[in-house]
Amino acid sequence: MTREKERENAGAGTLPIVMPGILDIPADGGQPSLLGGVCPSCGVRYFPRPSRCRGCLGPVEESPVGAKGVVYSFTVIRIRAPLGLPEPYAIGYVDLEESALRVFCLLDPQAVEMFRIGIPVRLAVGALGRDARGAPCLRPYFTPSVPGPRGAA
Amino acid sequence: MGAACVAGVGMIPFGKHVERTLVDMGSVAAYLALEDAGIGPGRVGLGVFASAAAPRLLGEMTSGQNVFWEVGIHRIPILNVENACTSGSTAFVLACNAIAAGQVDVALVVGAEKLCVPGVGLLNSGETELDTRLGMVTPAGFAMRAARYIHNYGASAAQLASVAVKNRGHAVLNPYAHFRKAVTLEEVLSSPVVADPLTRMQCCPMSDGAAAVVLCSREEARRMRRAVCVKAAILCTGSYENPADLDRWETDYRGCAQGYEAAGIGPEDLDVVECHDAFTIAEILHYEALGLCGPGEGANLAVRGETRLGGRIPVNVSGGLIGRGHPPGATGLAQVHEIVTQLRGEAGGRQVRNAKAGLAHCMGGDKDGDTKSFTMIVMAR
Repeated sequence: MTREKERENAGAGTLPIVMPGILDIPADGGQPSLLGGVCPSCGVRYFPRPSRCRGCLGPVEESPVGAKGVVYSFTVIRIRAPLGLPEPYAIGYVDLEESALRVFCLLDPQAVEMFRIGIPVRLAVGALGRDARGAPCLRPYFTPSVPGPRGAA
Repeated sequence: MGAACVAGVGMIPFGKHVERTLVDMGSVAAYLALEDAGIGPGRVGLGVFASAAAPRLLGEMTSGQNVFWEVGIHRIPILNVENACTSGSTAFVLACNAIAAGQVDVALVVGAEKLCVPGVGLLNSGETELDTRLGMVTPAGFAMRAARYIHNYGASAAQLASVAVKNRGHAVLNPYAHFRKAVTLEEVLSSPVVADPLTRMQCCPMSDGAAAVVLCSREEARRMRRAVCVKAAILCTGSYENPADLDRWETDYRGCAQGYEAAGIGPEDLDVVECHDAFTIAEILHYEALGLCGPGEGANLAVRGETRLGGRIPVNVSGGLIGRGHPPGATGLAQVHEIVTQLRGEAGGRQVRNAKAGLAHCMGGDKDGDTKSFTMIVMAR
């Protein structure tokens, strides 16, 4: 699938997101963000957003936690993939620039061999795998900010 | 602590037991432990049964009551415990606490697991968790720890793989082990990649099996020649702080410190250790959390033979999860079985000479880059 096609899918909004409330996808096709939460009294930020702050048990407000970061660690999974994900597929922890949160996420399946610890990445959203009912769905993933040699993938 | 003693242990060989049921395996282990303790079913005041996956994979609930009744135990309180890979050791901690509180004099703890069923797939931390929905599978969580550890400390793939060579070598000496064949470094490194940089032989197998332990009060143990004293039995849970470092579990360090403090001993006092080597990288990280070496030094320990049988501090002489196998409900109790056997001097070809103190360390589950459950059981002769 091409990047343009993925963006089309994301923009079309016809597919459900793998979990509601985790993504902020601008209607104009702009850069999507992970949607988490912030506790207005403690200032603690969360991803995903819990129903209550773990510190004060007060309500947590919805808040974007970031769209860009650097890879903290990653792996490429080379056994049978769950959830209809591509084989192989990559996952990692990303240190988000905006919120300083370290979040777990999928990495771009078209760039599995390009990931290294420390490289800058940005969020993308695309049709990727299936949901709990076996239907295609949108998932967030991080992709290298600086495109590498495509032949490497 | 120190109120409880191990009076008897029993287990069945781990492996693929396609024809055996959970209750069959558990009750055989229970019988062997009672026989080893020389205690009849009528003396048991509490039964705790552990299985991590029975409700999900087998559709069986309250299996403990079935297991205990097979060995003539009924009417008393029976608990069924699930705590991922620490299910068995968590059951052990509960029984120790009941004895320490003076509620019972004798408790029987049984752990069993039947993982080798069609379509089992990979275990995860819950279908509703975001991580699971984004493709997190257990080996991948450990692979990311390995990648970060290699990045931080310059460890090599061969250093990681040497842990599997050691533990598979130990398993050859253990009649209860799932794998009885030694492997070479080349074989470990050239086995198929599961998740970079971990190859298949660096991952524990999914096993069927059962193990059981009879615990009693110190008063009861006075009449027993082969009883082993429990110096500490610790259970704690992850901190789930963000950001969490993947090259060390904060929970591992915190739990180990708590365990040593409760036992009144330190790493220098240990003769033998069983730890949660679900993957090679895990054993290396546990060396460091247990204080067997400093941060970043763990990768060299297995290579230098320090943690091999006959080395400075033998770790996973049973073969560990990688060699003995890993039926999660039984694993924590199989670790206790090994330490008790070592401290009694009954381990045959894999005996650590003059072992006087040892510990069983286990961790289970994954959440937010942390472990969900940690247990440490310190025992001494």
